[in-house]
Amino acid sequence: MQREMTRKTRRPRGNFHQTLAPLLFLLPNILIFVLFIIIPAVQGLRMSFMNWSIFGGITPAGFRNFTRLLTDRVFKITLGNTVVYSLATVILLTVVALGLALLLYKNRMKGEKAYRSALYIPSLLSMITVGIAWRFILGDEMGIINYLLRLSGGSGLGFLSDRALAMPSVIAVTLWAQAGYYMIIMISGLQAIPLELYEAARIDGAGRVRTFWHITLPLLKSTVLVVLVLATIASFKAYELITVMTSGGPGTTTKLIVQQIYQVAFTEDRLGYASAMSVVLMVIIGLFTLVQFRLGGKEQDYE
Amino acid sequence: MKRLLLLLLAACLLLGTVSALAQEEVTLKVLWFNDANESEVFENTVKDYLEANPHVKLDMQVIAFADFEQALKLQLVGGNAPDLARLPTALLPVFQSQLEPVDGYVEDIEAVKAAFMPAMLAYALDPEGKMVAYPTEATGNGMLVNKTAFGNAGIDVVELSKTWTWADWEEAAKKVIAANENIKYGLAVDFTPHRLSTIIYQFGGRMLNEDQTAVNFNNPQTVAAIEWFKRMHDEELIPKSVWLGSEKPNELFMGGIVAGHIGGSWNINGYSSSIKDFEWTAVLNPKGEIRSSVPGGKFIASFKDSPHKDEAQKLMAWFSDATHNAMYSAGTFNLTSRLDAEVNYTANKENFDTFAEDLKVTPAFTSMEWNSPLVGKSSAIIRETVVQALLGDLTPQEAAEEIDRLASDLGN
Repeated sequence: MQREMTRKTRRPRGNFHQTLAPLLFLLPNILIFVLFIIIPAVQGLRMSFMNWSIFGGITPAGFRNFTRLLTDRVFKITLGNTVVYSLATVILLTVVALGLALLLYKNRMKGEKAYRSALYIPSLLSMITVGIAWRFILGDEMGIINYLLRLSGGSGLGFLSDRALAMPSVIAVTLWAQAGYYMIIMISGLQAIPLELYEAARIDGAGRVRTFWHITLPLLKSTVLVVLVLATIASFKAYELITVMTSGGPGTTTKLIVQQIYQVAFTEDRLGYASAMSVVLMVIIGLFTLVQFRLGGKEQDYE
Repeated sequence: MKRLLLLLLAACLLLGTVSALAQEEVTLKVLWFNDANESEVFENTVKDYLEANPHVKLDMQVIAFADFEQALKLQLVGGNAPDLARLPTALLPVFQSQLEPVDGYVEDIEAVKAAFMPAMLAYALDPEGKMVAYPTEATGNGMLVNKTAFGNAGIDVVELSKTWTWADWEEAAKKVIAANENIKYGLAVDFTPHRLSTIIYQFGGRMLNEDQTAVNFNNPQTVAAIEWFKRMHDEELIPKSVWLGSEKPNELFMGGIVAGHIGGSWNINGYSSSIKDFEWTAVLNPKGEIRSSVPGGKFIASFKDSPHKDEAQKLMAWFSDATHNAMYSAGTFNLTSRLDAEVNYTANKENFDTFAEDLKVTPAFTSMEWNSPLVGKSSAIIRETVVQALLGDLTPQEAAEEIDRLASDLGN
């Protein structure tokens, strides 16, 4: 009875400190999130059910914008391109970032910090700058690589104009630009793994490969998951680099869904239809993220 | 008596306040983009207006052309309309309904209209015939050639171009490539439907139907133009890297890799300052069915929702008179859009005259087509589908049909 009385008298103080105060601290973030994410998202969803022109009328479209997507050839192509680009960049970025992190996380090699910085610097550059720089390197006629190839007697390659090479070129540049950023995340994950586990494994006679598969990778799972989710979202939203490097070409070979959304919304003035595309993109990103979290599984305490 | 004096005093104070309010400082927000140095020249050109009207100030917002359309749309939709904006021909139809007509702000609108080139004025008129913008500079699409390279092949390109056809050009281009080690291609064409339309018009084709209510690429002349364009790519007289790989044609021309460039008249200015390794010149466009350029240009306009419409209109009228238009055209190295402006270019007069020659023989329907919102909305579709023809995914005939089909879907 006395305990119950005490609980009753303490409840208001406990509620404020435990519930209201944290909420008040979170309020600015919540407000920004609601204003700039939730409201535009809801508005986008509403627009996807309308025929909406910037200066024209707004009329209800029902599900017509979504059913039209099923027969839109360019939408299907750009969606396919986006999946290819996304899968390739996410897998390669994760593998390369992990490989670089494994090489550079121990602080044992001479000049390790300089290497880390050199690899990280490209991720600080604007993707537009990266695109322009690489267009000058990979250009058919004015490109540095083709100039060197021709000097050595070759005929040059259509890195950005050949359909077989354009997408691999864009993927390679994305890798160059972003691998350093994910490498830093991987390094922080690797440095958080207790050294005792490696010592114990060495005493038990485990080799490097076995240690990697049975200690490093399982304990790095949450970091890898973060990298996978961030890289996936970034790849689905890639816009500037491809616009500058190839304008989505040749034809629609490197055109991704966000470029198509931009074109439909702002060049063709079909905001409703573009919103329907955005909704589909949001659902796809959501599904990918969900699958990644599911595959990531639950955290296990290896200690 | 006392009361009367007080009333008089109050009236004086009121008048003073009103006159002070009338001269209240006004800051005109000007949304601008640059092809080269236009914002700087604009500010210099209206300096005397600002000196004569010290209560008027300018807030110049110069943004990249790539972001211009979206930025202006967002400002208008967001209720934050600029007082003035520089608009290219391609965007005039897009914003036409938002523009404040000049008609109510000038004494004799017919006299104002008569002062401008008819092709330029056609762009500036809304469907009711009201003038919604002042044409500033005129541009044309023309051919710029490497005179040195043609000379090395024993060709007097200026003389030849006075009567040349596309067949003559093709023959000459092959000789130029053979005679010059560095020249790999005959011609680069900007990666835009606007520049492609120069060739389409020269082949006698059109992009829209007669009454400009629908995109109509599927006509024999336009298909023939696309066929020719593809053949030139296949025979490597035109580099694939521009339309397939986004390389810049002006860079290829300045690099001495292509013998000619179909581009806008604004290139004269850039080439004049950048090209030192060879002699270049503007020549007349080759003739197909007809000889044609594509008239274009820039305009200055105010908006229905602009907060300072009166002051904006006064400034525009001042900036667009013959004297100031000539100053601006000379400073920006552009063709004048006025019939009565005497432009004293400090260089390249003969090149500007060549572009103007092409503009004079250009049929009026070309500006009517480019004044239609249909062309602007379809531009990305046209570009992508023509590339599909160049890649061999579609025949030129199929590409023309596909453009018409996709464009017809835009209004739905």
